[in-house]
Amino acid sequence: MMLIPEGILCSKSHEYLLEGENGIFTVGLTDYAVEQLGDIVFVELPEAGSEFEKGEVFATVESVKAASEIYMPAGGKIIEVNEKIVENPEILNESPFEEGWLVKIEGENIHADSGDLLEYADYKEEIE
Amino acid sequence: MGKKTVLYDTHQKLGAKMVEFGGWDMPVQYTGIIDEHNTVRNHAGIFDVSHMGQIFVSGNDALPFLQKVVPQDISKLQPNAAVYCQLPYEAGGLVDDLIIYRLEDDKYLVIANASNVEKDFNWFKKNATQYDVKIDNRSDEFSMFAIQGPNACKIVEKSGINELKQPKFFTITKTEISGYPVYISRTGYTGEDGFEIIVRNENALVLWDLLMDKGGEFGLKPIGLGARDTLRLEAALMLYGNDLSESTTPVEAGLKWSIPQDKKEDYNGKSVIMSQIESGVQKKLIGFEMIDRAIARHEYEIYYNGQKAGIVTSGGFSPTLNKNIGMGYIDTKYDIKLDSVIQIMVRNKLYNAKVVKRPFVKKRYKNS
Repeated sequence: MMLIPEGILCSKSHEYLLEGENGIFTVGLTDYAVEQLGDIVFVELPEAGSEFEKGEVFATVESVKAASEIYMPAGGKIIEVNEKIVENPEILNESPFEEGWLVKIEGENIHADSGDLLEYADYKEEIE
Repeated sequence: MGKKTVLYDTHQKLGAKMVEFGGWDMPVQYTGIIDEHNTVRNHAGIFDVSHMGQIFVSGNDALPFLQKVVPQDISKLQPNAAVYCQLPYEAGGLVDDLIIYRLEDDKYLVIANASNVEKDFNWFKKNATQYDVKIDNRSDEFSMFAIQGPNACKIVEKSGINELKQPKFFTITKTEISGYPVYISRTGYTGEDGFEIIVRNENALVLWDLLMDKGGEFGLKPIGLGARDTLRLEAALMLYGNDLSESTTPVEAGLKWSIPQDKKEDYNGKSVIMSQIESGVQKKLIGFEMIDRAIARHEYEIYYNGQKAGIVTSGGFSPTLNKNIGMGYIDTKYDIKLDSVIQIMVRNKLYNAKVVKRPFVKKRYKNS
Protein backbone atom coordinates (compact mmCIF):
# COMPACT_ATOMS: atom_id res chain seq x y z
CA MET A 1 0.00 0.00 0.00
CA MET A 2 1.43 3.32 -1.07
CA LEU A 3 1.48 6.11 1.48
CA ILE A 4 -0.28 9.19 0.16
CA PRO A 5 1.35 12.38 1.51
CA GLU A 6 -1.05 14.59 3.41
CA GLY A 7 -2.14 17.78 1.68
CA ILE A 8 -1.16 16.61 -1.78
CA LEU A 9 -2.95 18.28 -4.72
CA CYS A 10 -3.39 16.60 -8.09
CA SER A 11 -4.05 17.87 -11.60
CA LYS A 12 -6.33 16.15 -14.08
CA SER A 13 -3.22 15.51 -16.19
CA HIS A 14 -1.85 13.47 -13.24
CA GLU A 15 0.87 15.71 -11.83
CA TYR A 16 0.93 16.38 -8.10
CA LEU A 17 1.93 19.42 -6.08
CA LEU A 18 2.98 19.17 -2.45
CA GLU A 19 3.74 22.14 -0.24
CA GLY A 20 6.86 21.81 1.89
CA GLU A 21 8.72 24.22 4.11
CA ASN A 22 9.82 27.77 3.28
CA GLY A 23 7.51 28.13 0.29
CA ILE A 24 9.08 25.21 -1.58
CA PHE A 25 6.76 22.84 -3.43
CA THR A 26 7.48 19.36 -4.78
CA VAL A 27 6.11 18.36 -8.19
CA GLY A 28 5.78 14.77 -9.34
CA LEU A 29 3.58 12.21 -11.05
CA THR A 30 0.73 10.49 -9.25
CA ASP A 31 0.72 6.78 -8.47
CA TYR A 32 -2.07 6.40 -11.02
CA ALA A 33 0.06 8.09 -13.70
CA VAL A 34 3.09 5.87 -13.21
CA GLU A 35 0.88 2.80 -13.05
CA GLN A 36 -0.73 3.74 -16.36
CA LEU A 37 2.61 4.52 -18.02
CA GLY A 38 4.12 1.17 -17.07
CA ASP A 39 7.88 0.68 -16.89
CA ILE A 40 9.49 4.12 -17.05
CA VAL A 41 12.87 3.99 -18.79
CA PHE A 42 13.75 7.62 -19.47
CA VAL A 43 13.24 10.98 -17.79
CA GLU A 44 14.18 14.41 -19.15
CA LEU A 45 14.07 17.24 -16.60
CA PRO A 46 14.49 20.99 -17.00
CA GLU A 47 17.50 22.90 -15.74
CA ALA A 48 17.39 24.38 -12.27
CA GLY A 49 16.69 28.08 -12.50
CA SER A 50 14.31 27.85 -15.44
CA GLU A 51 10.78 29.16 -15.04
CA PHE A 52 7.50 27.74 -16.28
CA GLU A 53 3.91 28.87 -16.40
CA LYS A 54 1.11 26.69 -15.14
CA GLY A 55 0.21 24.16 -17.86
CA GLU A 56 3.56 24.44 -19.66
CA VAL A 57 5.50 21.28 -20.56
CA PHE A 58 8.53 21.11 -18.26
CA ALA A 59 9.60 17.47 -18.48
CA THR A 60 9.26 14.32 -20.55
CA VAL A 61 8.85 10.82 -19.21
CA GLU A 62 9.18 7.80 -21.47
CA SER A 63 7.86 4.35 -20.77
CA VAL A 64 8.84 1.35 -22.86
CA LYS A 65 5.84 2.11 -25.06
CA ALA A 66 5.80 5.87 -25.54
CA ALA A 67 6.93 9.37 -24.59
CA SER A 68 4.68 11.55 -22.41
CA GLU A 69 4.92 15.28 -21.79
CA ILE A 70 4.56 16.48 -18.20
CA TYR A 71 2.80 19.77 -17.41
CA MET A 72 3.42 22.24 -14.59
CA PRO A 73 0.56 22.03 -12.06
CA ALA A 74 1.39 25.63 -11.05
CA GLY A 75 3.69 28.33 -12.37
CA GLY A 76 7.08 28.76 -10.72
CA LYS A 77 10.85 28.60 -10.81
CA ILE A 78 12.68 25.26 -10.74
CA ILE A 79 15.00 25.29 -7.77
CA GLU A 80 16.00 21.62 -7.72
CA VAL A 81 15.64 18.62 -10.04
CA ASN A 82 15.76 14.98 -8.99
CA GLU A 83 18.99 13.76 -10.66
CA LYS A 84 18.53 10.33 -9.12
CA ILE A 85 15.56 9.51 -11.36
CA VAL A 86 17.50 10.52 -14.47
CA GLU A 87 20.01 7.78 -13.64
CA ASN A 88 17.38 5.33 -12.35
CA PRO A 89 14.01 6.08 -13.95
CA GLU A 90 12.43 2.97 -12.40
CA ILE A 91 12.32 4.89 -9.09
CA LEU A 92 9.32 6.71 -10.54
CA ASN A 93 7.36 3.46 -10.71
CA GLU A 94 8.51 2.32 -7.28
CA SER A 95 8.04 5.50 -5.28
CA PRO A 96 6.23 8.30 -7.13
CA PHE A 97 5.45 10.33 -3.98
CA GLU A 98 8.78 9.99 -2.16
CA GLU A 99 11.99 9.01 -3.95
CA GLY A 100 10.49 9.58 -7.38
CA TRP A 101 9.62 13.28 -7.23
CA LEU A 102 10.49 15.30 -10.38
CA VAL A 103 11.31 18.89 -9.40
CA LYS A 104 11.03 21.38 -6.55
CA ILE A 105 9.65 24.80 -7.34
CA GLU A 106 9.02 28.15 -5.72
CA GLY A 107 7.00 31.15 -6.83
CA GLU A 108 4.53 33.76 -5.74
CA ASN A 109 1.61 32.44 -7.75
CA ILE A 110 1.72 28.82 -6.74
CA HIS A 111 -1.16 29.11 -4.28
CA ALA A 112 -3.26 31.11 -6.71
CA ASP A 113 -2.45 28.62 -9.50
CA SER A 114 -3.47 25.58 -7.48
CA GLY A 115 -7.13 26.56 -7.22
CA ASP A 116 -8.27 23.99 -9.78
CA LEU A 117 -6.13 21.16 -8.42
CA LEU A 118 -7.89 18.32 -6.63
CA GLU A 119 -7.34 16.81 -3.25
CA TYR A 120 -6.19 13.21 -3.57
CA ALA A 121 -9.54 11.66 -2.61
CA ASP A 122 -11.37 13.79 -5.18
CA TYR A 123 -8.70 13.05 -7.79
CA LYS A 124 -9.16 9.32 -7.18
CA GLU A 125 -12.87 9.70 -7.68
CA GLU A 126 -12.32 11.67 -10.86
CA ILE A 127 -10.15 9.01 -12.50
CA GLU A 128 -12.32 6.04 -11.53
CA MET B 1 -14.14 -1.06 -29.22
CA GLY B 2 -12.28 -3.53 -31.37
CA LYS B 3 -12.94 -7.20 -32.02
CA LYS B 4 -12.41 -9.53 -29.09
CA THR B 5 -10.43 -12.74 -29.14
CA VAL B 6 -11.87 -15.79 -27.41
CA LEU B 7 -9.49 -15.04 -24.53
CA TYR B 8 -10.65 -11.48 -23.88
CA ASP B 9 -12.16 -12.29 -20.45
CA THR B 10 -9.17 -14.44 -19.56
CA HIS B 11 -6.81 -11.53 -20.25
CA GLN B 12 -8.88 -9.27 -18.04
CA LYS B 13 -8.85 -11.84 -15.24
CA LEU B 14 -5.08 -12.04 -15.59
CA GLY B 15 -4.94 -8.28 -14.98
CA ALA B 16 -4.02 -7.26 -18.52
CA LYS B 17 -4.17 -3.70 -19.75
CA MET B 18 -6.01 -3.79 -23.05
CA VAL B 19 -5.33 -1.64 -26.12
CA GLU B 20 -6.73 -1.46 -29.60
CA PHE B 21 -4.37 -2.98 -32.18
CA GLY B 22 -5.17 -3.77 -35.80
CA GLY B 23 -8.90 -3.54 -35.07
CA TRP B 24 -8.69 -5.83 -32.04
CA ASP B 25 -8.76 -5.31 -28.28
CA MET B 26 -5.52 -6.94 -27.25
CA PRO B 27 -3.51 -7.23 -24.02
CA VAL B 28 -0.58 -4.80 -24.11
CA GLN B 29 0.84 -5.95 -20.78
CA TYR B 30 0.04 -8.02 -17.71
CA THR B 31 2.75 -7.57 -15.04
CA GLY B 32 4.89 -5.08 -16.97
CA ILE B 33 6.67 -5.01 -20.31
CA ILE B 34 10.21 -5.43 -18.99
CA ASP B 35 9.28 -8.31 -16.69
CA GLU B 36 7.40 -10.04 -19.52
CA HIS B 37 10.26 -9.43 -21.94
CA ASN B 38 12.76 -11.02 -19.55
CA THR B 39 10.40 -13.93 -18.90
CA VAL B 40 10.50 -14.82 -22.60
CA ARG B 41 14.30 -14.46 -22.84
CA ASN B 42 14.92 -16.50 -19.67
CA HIS B 43 12.00 -18.94 -19.36
CA ALA B 44 8.97 -18.89 -21.65
CA GLY B 45 5.94 -16.79 -22.46
CA ILE B 46 2.55 -17.44 -24.01
CA PHE B 47 1.03 -14.87 -26.37
CA ASP B 48 -2.53 -14.63 -27.63
CA VAL B 49 -2.02 -13.81 -31.30
CA SER B 50 -5.54 -14.69 -32.37
CA HIS B 51 -5.77 -11.33 -34.13
CA MET B 52 -3.54 -12.70 -36.88
CA GLY B 53 -5.20 -14.01 -40.00
CA GLN B 54 -5.40 -17.50 -41.47
CA ILE B 55 -6.00 -17.64 -45.20
CA PHE B 56 -6.07 -21.07 -46.85
CA VAL B 57 -5.02 -21.38 -50.48
CA SER B 58 -5.82 -24.63 -52.28
CA GLY B 59 -6.63 -26.13 -55.64
CA ASN B 60 -4.86 -27.21 -58.83
CA ASP B 61 -3.26 -23.82 -59.36
CA ALA B 62 -2.38 -23.08 -55.74
CA LEU B 63 1.33 -23.30 -56.50
CA PRO B 64 1.41 -21.16 -59.67
CA PHE B 65 -0.87 -18.64 -57.95
CA LEU B 66 1.45 -18.29 -54.95
CA GLN B 67 4.45 -18.12 -57.30
CA LYS B 68 2.76 -15.10 -58.88
CA VAL B 69 2.16 -13.19 -55.63
CA VAL B 70 5.39 -13.67 -53.64
CA PRO B 71 9.09 -13.37 -54.58
CA GLN B 72 9.94 -16.57 -52.70
CA ASP B 73 10.14 -19.88 -54.57
CA ILE B 74 7.13 -21.80 -53.30
CA SER B 75 7.96 -24.73 -55.61
CA LYS B 76 10.88 -25.52 -53.27
CA LEU B 77 8.59 -25.66 -50.25
CA GLN B 78 8.25 -29.25 -48.98
CA PRO B 79 5.00 -30.41 -47.39
CA ASN B 80 4.89 -29.23 -43.73
CA ALA B 81 7.55 -26.59 -44.38
CA ALA B 82 7.18 -22.85 -43.91
CA VAL B 83 8.75 -19.83 -45.56
CA TYR B 84 8.87 -16.13 -44.66
CA CYS B 85 7.42 -14.17 -47.61
CA GLN B 86 6.54 -10.69 -48.72
CA LEU B 87 3.51 -9.71 -50.76
CA PRO B 88 4.63 -7.02 -53.23
CA TYR B 89 2.63 -4.68 -55.39
CA GLU B 90 3.76 -4.36 -59.01
CA ALA B 91 5.92 -1.35 -58.02
CA GLY B 92 7.75 -3.41 -55.39
CA GLY B 93 6.18 -1.86 -52.27
CA LEU B 94 4.44 -4.26 -49.93
CA VAL B 95 0.86 -5.27 -49.29
CA ASP B 96 2.04 -7.27 -46.27
CA ASP B 97 4.62 -9.73 -45.03
CA LEU B 98 3.54 -13.31 -44.43
CA ILE B 99 4.44 -16.80 -43.42
CA ILE B 100 3.31 -19.45 -45.88
CA TYR B 101 3.01 -23.07 -44.76
CA ARG B 102 2.58 -25.95 -47.17
CA LEU B 103 0.02 -28.19 -45.45
CA GLU B 104 -0.53 -30.70 -48.23
CA ASP B 105 0.48 -31.09 -51.87
CA ASP B 106 -1.80 -28.33 -53.09
CA LYS B 107 -2.99 -26.78 -49.84
CA TYR B 108 -1.23 -23.85 -48.23
CA LEU B 109 -1.84 -21.78 -45.12
CA VAL B 110 -1.01 -18.09 -45.17
CA ILE B 111 -0.57 -16.23 -41.86
CA ALA B 112 -1.29 -12.52 -42.34
CA ASN B 113 -0.90 -9.48 -40.10
CA ALA B 114 -4.10 -8.60 -38.22
CA SER B 115 -4.63 -5.20 -39.78
CA ASN B 116 -3.95 -6.54 -43.29
CA VAL B 117 -6.12 -9.65 -43.43
CA GLU B 118 -8.89 -8.09 -45.52
CA LYS B 119 -6.39 -6.25 -47.72
CA ASP B 120 -4.39 -9.44 -48.35
CA PHE B 121 -7.52 -11.45 -49.05
CA ASN B 122 -8.75 -8.88 -51.57
CA TRP B 123 -5.30 -8.74 -53.15
CA PHE B 124 -5.28 -12.51 -53.49
CA LYS B 125 -8.75 -12.46 -55.04
CA LYS B 126 -7.71 -9.79 -57.50
CA ASN B 127 -4.65 -11.80 -58.53
CA ALA B 128 -6.47 -15.13 -58.67
CA THR B 129 -8.75 -14.54 -61.64
CA GLN B 130 -6.57 -16.54 -64.05
CA TYR B 131 -6.01 -19.44 -61.66
CA ASP B 132 -7.94 -22.50 -60.56
CA VAL B 133 -7.51 -21.73 -56.89
CA LYS B 134 -9.66 -21.52 -53.79
CA ILE B 135 -8.87 -18.69 -51.40
CA ASP B 136 -10.51 -19.07 -48.06
CA ASN B 137 -10.19 -16.49 -45.31
CA ARG B 138 -10.90 -18.53 -42.18
CA SER B 139 -9.45 -16.06 -39.68
CA ASP B 140 -12.73 -15.93 -37.74
CA GLU B 141 -12.67 -19.68 -37.09
CA PHE B 142 -9.24 -19.89 -35.49
CA SER B 143 -7.36 -18.70 -32.46
CA MET B 144 -3.59 -18.66 -32.35
CA PHE B 145 -1.09 -18.76 -29.49
CA ALA B 146 2.66 -18.43 -29.47
CA ILE B 147 4.83 -20.12 -26.86
CA GLN B 148 8.28 -18.61 -27.00
CA GLY B 149 11.46 -18.91 -24.98
CA PRO B 150 14.15 -21.40 -23.98
CA ASN B 151 11.60 -23.53 -22.07
CA ALA B 152 9.01 -23.61 -24.88
CA CYS B 153 10.11 -27.06 -26.01
CA LYS B 154 9.69 -28.53 -22.50
CA ILE B 155 6.24 -26.99 -22.13
CA VAL B 156 5.04 -28.43 -25.41
CA GLU B 157 6.51 -31.79 -24.38
CA LYS B 158 4.68 -31.62 -21.05
CA SER B 159 1.49 -30.85 -23.00
CA GLY B 160 1.78 -34.19 -24.73
CA ILE B 161 3.97 -33.68 -27.82
CA ASN B 162 7.33 -35.23 -27.08
CA GLU B 163 10.44 -33.63 -28.41
CA LEU B 164 10.92 -36.08 -31.28
CA LYS B 165 7.42 -35.38 -32.56
CA GLN B 166 7.70 -31.62 -32.29
CA PRO B 167 8.00 -29.75 -35.56
CA LYS B 168 11.52 -28.67 -36.53
CA PHE B 169 12.44 -25.03 -37.17
CA PHE B 170 10.12 -23.46 -39.76
CA THR B 171 7.93 -26.52 -40.17
CA ILE B 172 4.35 -27.27 -39.14
CA THR B 173 2.62 -30.40 -37.84
CA LYS B 174 -1.06 -31.25 -37.70
CA THR B 175 -1.62 -33.05 -34.44
CA GLU B 176 -3.64 -33.06 -31.22
CA ILE B 177 -3.06 -31.64 -27.77
CA SER B 178 -5.17 -33.41 -25.18
CA GLY B 179 -7.53 -34.51 -27.94
CA TYR B 180 -7.95 -31.06 -29.48
CA PRO B 181 -6.81 -30.81 -33.11
CA VAL B 182 -4.13 -28.19 -33.66
CA TYR B 183 -1.61 -27.01 -36.18
CA ILE B 184 1.67 -26.44 -34.38
CA SER B 185 4.67 -24.80 -36.04
CA ARG B 186 8.22 -23.98 -34.92
CA THR B 187 8.00 -20.29 -35.65
CA GLY B 188 7.63 -17.04 -33.76
CA TYR B 189 8.38 -13.35 -33.50
CA THR B 190 10.79 -13.07 -30.59
CA GLY B 191 14.16 -14.44 -31.77
CA GLU B 192 13.77 -17.33 -29.31
CA ASP B 193 13.01 -20.98 -29.93
CA GLY B 194 9.29 -21.49 -29.82
CA PHE B 195 6.01 -22.56 -31.32
CA GLU B 196 2.85 -21.14 -32.76
CA ILE B 197 -0.33 -23.10 -32.23
CA ILE B 198 -3.47 -22.69 -34.31
CA VAL B 199 -6.66 -24.05 -32.78
CA ARG B 200 -10.36 -23.78 -33.53
CA ASN B 201 -12.04 -21.03 -31.49
CA GLU B 202 -14.28 -23.45 -29.62
CA ASN B 203 -11.20 -25.20 -28.20
CA ALA B 204 -9.08 -22.14 -27.60
CA LEU B 205 -10.01 -21.37 -24.02
CA VAL B 206 -9.42 -24.87 -22.71
CA LEU B 207 -6.15 -25.16 -24.66
CA TRP B 208 -4.85 -21.85 -23.26
CA ASP B 209 -5.67 -23.01 -19.72
CA LEU B 210 -4.00 -26.35 -20.37
CA LEU B 211 -0.82 -24.72 -21.69
CA MET B 212 -0.74 -22.24 -18.78
CA ASP B 213 -1.14 -25.15 -16.37
CA LYS B 214 1.57 -27.31 -17.98
CA GLY B 215 3.89 -24.34 -18.33
CA GLY B 216 3.70 -23.22 -14.72
CA GLU B 217 6.68 -25.25 -13.54
CA PHE B 218 8.77 -23.88 -16.43
CA GLY B 219 8.06 -20.26 -15.56
CA LEU B 220 5.50 -19.72 -18.34
CA LYS B 221 3.66 -16.39 -18.11
CA PRO B 222 1.26 -14.55 -20.41
CA ILE B 223 2.94 -11.88 -22.50
CA GLY B 224 1.33 -8.78 -24.03
CA LEU B 225 1.89 -6.88 -27.24
CA GLY B 226 4.26 -4.45 -25.49
CA ALA B 227 6.89 -7.11 -24.88
CA ARG B 228 6.11 -8.71 -28.24
CA ASP B 229 7.30 -5.45 -29.78
CA THR B 230 10.49 -5.10 -27.70
CA LEU B 231 11.36 -8.76 -28.34
CA ARG B 232 10.89 -8.55 -32.09
CA LEU B 233 12.80 -5.26 -32.26
CA GLU B 234 15.82 -6.80 -30.49
CA ALA B 235 15.66 -9.64 -33.02
CA ALA B 236 15.31 -6.99 -35.81
CA LEU B 237 12.17 -8.68 -37.13
CA MET B 238 10.07 -6.51 -39.41
CA LEU B 239 6.80 -4.95 -38.29
CA TYR B 240 4.45 -4.13 -41.15
CA GLY B 241 3.19 -0.56 -40.75
CA ASN B 242 6.54 0.48 -39.21
CA ASP B 243 9.49 -1.09 -41.02
CA LEU B 244 7.55 -2.34 -44.01
CA SER B 245 4.86 -0.54 -45.97
CA GLU B 246 3.54 0.02 -49.45
CA SER B 247 6.46 2.41 -50.02
CA THR B 248 9.24 0.00 -49.03
CA THR B 249 10.50 -2.89 -51.11
CA PRO B 250 11.93 -6.08 -49.60
CA VAL B 251 15.38 -5.17 -50.94
CA GLU B 252 15.30 -1.76 -49.27
CA ALA B 253 14.21 -3.50 -46.05
CA GLY B 254 17.31 -5.71 -46.12
CA LEU B 255 15.31 -8.83 -46.92
CA LYS B 256 17.39 -9.80 -49.96
CA TRP B 257 18.42 -12.96 -48.09
CA SER B 258 14.82 -14.16 -48.39
CA ILE B 259 14.53 -13.63 -52.15
CA PRO B 260 15.81 -16.30 -54.52
CA GLN B 261 17.56 -14.83 -57.55
CA ASP B 262 17.05 -17.93 -59.67
CA LYS B 263 13.25 -18.12 -59.47
CA LYS B 264 12.05 -18.54 -63.06
CA GLU B 265 8.42 -17.51 -62.72
CA ASP B 266 7.36 -13.91 -63.02
CA TYR B 267 5.85 -12.40 -59.86
CA ASN B 268 4.41 -9.04 -58.83
CA GLY B 269 7.20 -6.54 -58.40
CA LYS B 270 9.86 -8.81 -59.90
CA SER B 271 11.38 -6.27 -62.27
CA VAL B 272 11.78 -3.66 -59.52
CA ILE B 273 13.06 -6.16 -56.97
CA MET B 274 15.56 -7.78 -59.35
CA SER B 275 16.86 -4.45 -60.60
CA GLN B 276 17.35 -3.27 -57.01
CA ILE B 277 19.25 -6.45 -56.22
CA GLU B 278 21.49 -5.86 -59.26
CA SER B 279 21.87 -2.07 -59.22
CA GLY B 280 21.31 -1.11 -55.61
CA VAL B 281 18.72 0.94 -53.75
CA GLN B 282 18.09 4.62 -52.98
CA LYS B 283 17.19 3.95 -49.39
CA LYS B 284 17.95 1.12 -47.04
CA LEU B 285 17.13 -0.06 -43.57
CA ILE B 286 19.79 0.28 -40.87
CA GLY B 287 19.95 -0.60 -37.20
CA PHE B 288 21.33 1.79 -34.61
CA GLU B 289 21.87 2.16 -30.91
CA MET B 290 21.72 5.47 -29.11
CA ILE B 291 25.00 6.88 -27.83
CA ASP B 292 23.39 9.87 -26.12
CA ARG B 293 20.66 9.49 -23.57
CA ALA B 294 17.46 9.61 -25.64
CA ILE B 295 14.93 7.22 -27.09
CA ALA B 296 14.30 7.14 -30.84
CA ARG B 297 10.70 6.43 -31.82
CA HIS B 298 8.72 5.63 -34.96
CA GLU B 299 8.85 8.55 -37.45
CA TYR B 300 11.61 10.54 -35.73
CA GLU B 301 14.08 12.01 -38.24
CA ILE B 302 17.60 10.70 -38.85
CA TYR B 303 20.42 13.20 -39.58
CA TYR B 304 23.93 12.75 -40.93
CA ASN B 305 26.48 15.57 -41.10
CA GLY B 306 23.74 18.11 -40.55
CA GLN B 307 21.54 16.80 -43.36
CA LYS B 308 18.22 15.06 -42.95
CA ALA B 309 19.15 11.56 -44.10
CA GLY B 310 16.23 9.35 -43.17
CA ILE B 311 13.48 8.32 -40.82
CA VAL B 312 13.16 5.98 -37.83
CA THR B 313 10.67 3.17 -38.37
CA SER B 314 10.97 1.35 -35.03
CA GLY B 315 12.72 2.41 -31.88
CA GLY B 316 12.67 1.98 -28.16
CA PHE B 317 14.28 0.60 -25.05
CA SER B 318 15.94 -2.80 -25.25
CA PRO B 319 15.49 -4.59 -21.92
CA THR B 320 18.05 -7.27 -22.84
CA LEU B 321 20.81 -4.80 -23.75
CA ASN B 322 19.71 -2.02 -21.39
CA LYS B 323 20.21 0.36 -24.33
CA ASN B 324 17.98 2.38 -26.59
CA ILE B 325 17.90 0.89 -30.08
CA GLY B 326 16.11 1.42 -33.35
CA MET B 327 15.82 0.82 -37.06
CA GLY B 328 15.15 3.23 -39.87
CA TYR B 329 15.60 4.01 -43.53
CA ILE B 330 18.48 6.19 -44.71
CA ASP B 331 19.18 7.66 -48.13
CA THR B 332 22.03 5.65 -49.66
CA LYS B 333 23.62 8.79 -51.12
CA TYR B 334 25.10 9.37 -47.66
CA ASP B 335 28.14 7.33 -46.75
CA ILE B 336 26.50 5.74 -43.73
CA LYS B 337 27.87 2.34 -42.78
CA LEU B 338 28.50 0.15 -39.77
CA ASP B 339 29.84 2.25 -36.84
CA SER B 340 28.92 5.55 -38.54
CA VAL B 341 27.65 8.14 -36.08
CA ILE B 342 24.23 9.50 -37.01
CA GLN B 343 21.84 11.78 -35.14
CA ILE B 344 18.23 11.30 -34.20
CA MET B 345 15.95 14.33 -33.80
CA VAL B 346 14.14 13.97 -30.48
CA ARG B 347 11.88 16.85 -29.41
CA ASN B 348 13.77 19.30 -31.64
CA LYS B 349 17.23 18.31 -30.44
CA LEU B 350 19.79 16.05 -32.13
CA TYR B 351 21.18 13.07 -30.23
CA ASN B 352 24.03 10.82 -31.38
CA ALA B 353 23.50 7.21 -32.31
CA LYS B 354 25.77 4.59 -33.86
CA VAL B 355 24.96 2.27 -36.75
CA VAL B 356 25.17 -1.34 -35.54
CA LYS B 357 24.56 -4.83 -36.89
CA ARG B 358 21.15 -6.39 -36.87
CA PRO B 359 19.85 -8.37 -35.05
CA PHE B 360 20.63 -6.42 -31.90
CA VAL B 361 20.26 -9.58 -29.82
CA LYS B 362 21.41 -12.94 -31.23
CA LYS B 363 18.60 -15.24 -32.29
CA ARG B 364 18.44 -18.53 -30.44
CA TYR B 365 16.45 -20.71 -32.81
CA LYS B 366 16.86 -24.47 -32.71
CA ASN B 367 17.68 -25.14 -36.33
CA SER B 368 18.06 -28.90 -36.22
